[in-house]
Amino acid sequence: MSRIAPLNMADHGALCFDRNAAGATRQIVQLGLSEIAFAAADMPLCLAKDANTGRFDLIALLGLVEPTNLFSFGGHFQATYIPRAALLTGFRLDPNGAAGLAVDVADPTIGTDGEPLFADGRPAPLLGHLHQALEQVMADIAAARTLIARYAAKRLVRPLILSVRKADGRDHDIAGLYTIDEPAMRALPDDEVVALHRADALAPSTILSASLAQIERLRQLHNARFEPAISSCSIG
Amino acid sequence: MFPGEEAVNGLVQHVVVVGGGSAGWIAACRLAAQAKRSGSGVRVTLVESTNVPTIGVGEGTWPTMRNTLAKIGITETDFIRSCDAAFKQGARFVGWTDGSPADGYYHPLNPPAGATEIDLAPHWLHRPATEAADFASWVDFQATLCDAGLAPKTILMPEYAGHANYAYHLDAGKFATLLRDHAVDNLGVEHVLGDVVRPHMADNGDITDIELGDGRRLAGDLFVDCTGFAALLIGGVYGVPFRRCSDVLFADRAMAMQVPYDGEDDDITCHTVSTAQDAGWIWDIGLWTRRGVGHVYSSAHTSDDAAEAALRRYVGPRADGLSVRRIGIDAGHRERFWQNNCVAVGLSAGFIEPLEASALMLIETSMDAIADRFPRTRSAMDVMAHQFNDTFRHHWQRIIEFLKLHYVLTKRTDTAFWRDNTAPSSIPDGLRERLDLWRHHSPAPQDFDHAREVFSWPSYQYVLHGMQFASDYPRVDAASPDAVMAGRFVARNDRARADLLHRAPRHRDLLRAVRDHGLQLV
Repeated sequence: MSRIAPLNMADHGALCFDRNAAGATRQIVQLGLSEIAFAAADMPLCLAKDANTGRFDLIALLGLVEPTNLFSFGGHFQATYIPRAALLTGFRLDPNGAAGLAVDVADPTIGTDGEPLFADGRPAPLLGHLHQALEQVMADIAAARTLIARYAAKRLVRPLILSVRKADGRDHDIAGLYTIDEPAMRALPDDEVVALHRADALAPSTILSASLAQIERLRQLHNARFEPAISSCSIG
Repeated sequence: MFPGEEAVNGLVQHVVVVGGGSAGWIAACRLAAQAKRSGSGVRVTLVESTNVPTIGVGEGTWPTMRNTLAKIGITETDFIRSCDAAFKQGARFVGWTDGSPADGYYHPLNPPAGATEIDLAPHWLHRPATEAADFASWVDFQATLCDAGLAPKTILMPEYAGHANYAYHLDAGKFATLLRDHAVDNLGVEHVLGDVVRPHMADNGDITDIELGDGRRLAGDLFVDCTGFAALLIGGVYGVPFRRCSDVLFADRAMAMQVPYDGEDDDITCHTVSTAQDAGWIWDIGLWTRRGVGHVYSSAHTSDDAAEAALRRYVGPRADGLSVRRIGIDAGHRERFWQNNCVAVGLSAGFIEPLEASALMLIETSMDAIADRFPRTRSAMDVMAHQFNDTFRHHWQRIIEFLKLHYVLTKRTDTAFWRDNTAPSSIPDGLRERLDLWRHHSPAPQDFDHAREVFSWPSYQYVLHGMQFASDYPRVDAASPDAVMAGRFVARNDRARADLLHRAPRHRDLLRAVRDHGLQLV
């Protein structure tokens, strides 16, 4: 039986939404175009290919080695900014469900704690807000895809070689990530640089590159909770 | 260049490609792309007759096509979409060894594992009795992908990269159109429509220009003859003799049929299937939209009607109502390919049955030689022509021998075609010598004259051992470092096989994803 089902009172009337559990088990989360500057304050921002289409998505890296979200501990998402998609991982748009939603009952935000999905036998107002937020985040993610596709078409994207070494001497390669190709960006003809700037596509590329410094933040978060510690991260 | 040399020794600045099939447009694209990349200023004009239909040889390529397309600047996504292309991971030869129902082997495009470090053939020959794998499956994993109908890459991999080596099956007519549009729109090739009626010659025998039916004259420094079987320049102007090889390779006719799929989601075979017949063999290739099936046969050993009946029998009820297209094969090649300032590329240079899809590869290899080391001056052309002729005579000889290998190893005696193919008089001396050697020594790089052979030792190993050639290699001590290394490579193969069986997408599903979403450049 699928764990994702159209939301309905009969099956889901007792469920609640716990925003504090957002993205608790996620190593990566998709980002929208409008979130780049906010998320970069906490997280490394990378590119990853969609498994079905091969197209680049913009993602925030939330973990390194362990399959967990390093920002999620102590019952909260410990960052200055919570990517909106991380809040909404328990829901999908579904015209057959209450408030036009489907629910993933296995998602950590769905359970007995938090805000009820139904009140007085009817969908709670929360569901309307979630529906609206889902529509917005999907449009924002699509806008990010368009931006990244523009970089990719100009060969401004390169594979990110990210390897971590633990204190026990073992190396772990984190594969499948991409980033901005800074030398290629620097080599762009002036007119193309100006065109990117006028299209609001130049500044985001700089933020994406700079955000890789947050890999050190992930290392610190990892070492605060997990053994053996990560002794070094190699970025190429 | 020394001062004044230009006046005496003209720079090569304008290339005229005559003929507009696959050969002509590949030639024009390669030359124009190279000129653009190097900034040489060399101009390229292609003149194409409106009255001569293209032959459209070869719907199968080699992996070299990936490099060619990348050099030309065509994306893999555009190529796959425009040419109804599908991936090809090698060929399966059915019925060539003894004609029994179980008779079949693969010639995959992957080389044997560890090919640069170890020769696995002796280890395979003396493998433990519990390991019953055929040669191709023991030394590599690609045959398993072919059997399972799985693709050589995933949608996550960038253009022209794969987890297994691969080539393509393509619609040759659509390929020529894609190349033409790219050449004209993106590479600055001038496209002239007209019939060549006569060349004009200089005193030294060079072609100075060609005159078209409407009186226009096209001057050039180098002429590339891509006029197909007509060989208007290399044959018509220079009379370079044609060296036939019908005494070695008997096939002289082919008939082709385009077979629709039953359903939109039918599996697409990810390799060429070549099935032996009484007097030849049938090719079967899968495109996105249809199959291409054809019968290559010897008219000395069967009639056209019997060959067509065999083709229809092979295709089955789907053949009802489908027409066949007949193609003559005058197997052989020119004695020289480059004469004065004219070089023949494609069918004008030679043609041979498409048993190993060598037609497009030879065009690519020819253009690699011409475009990557383009003659700057007319005098350089003579030296390059000499090198080119030596190289391609060698390539043709090796291709003929390698194709003959498929026939000479047969144990079939059921028809005159197969019996005649093993007659000693039909076997080239070089091939006979090597076969004697290979009874006791596995094919190795030292057996070949050139560093860049079109068919090298891995291909020979796949065919020899696929056809159960009686070989007697020394047994390798199981405790020796070589045996340990061989074991490691075989184990690596096994892991790759298991991983890809789980991870590789179904061939049609990947093609659909490429058509829908495209491949990324990185």
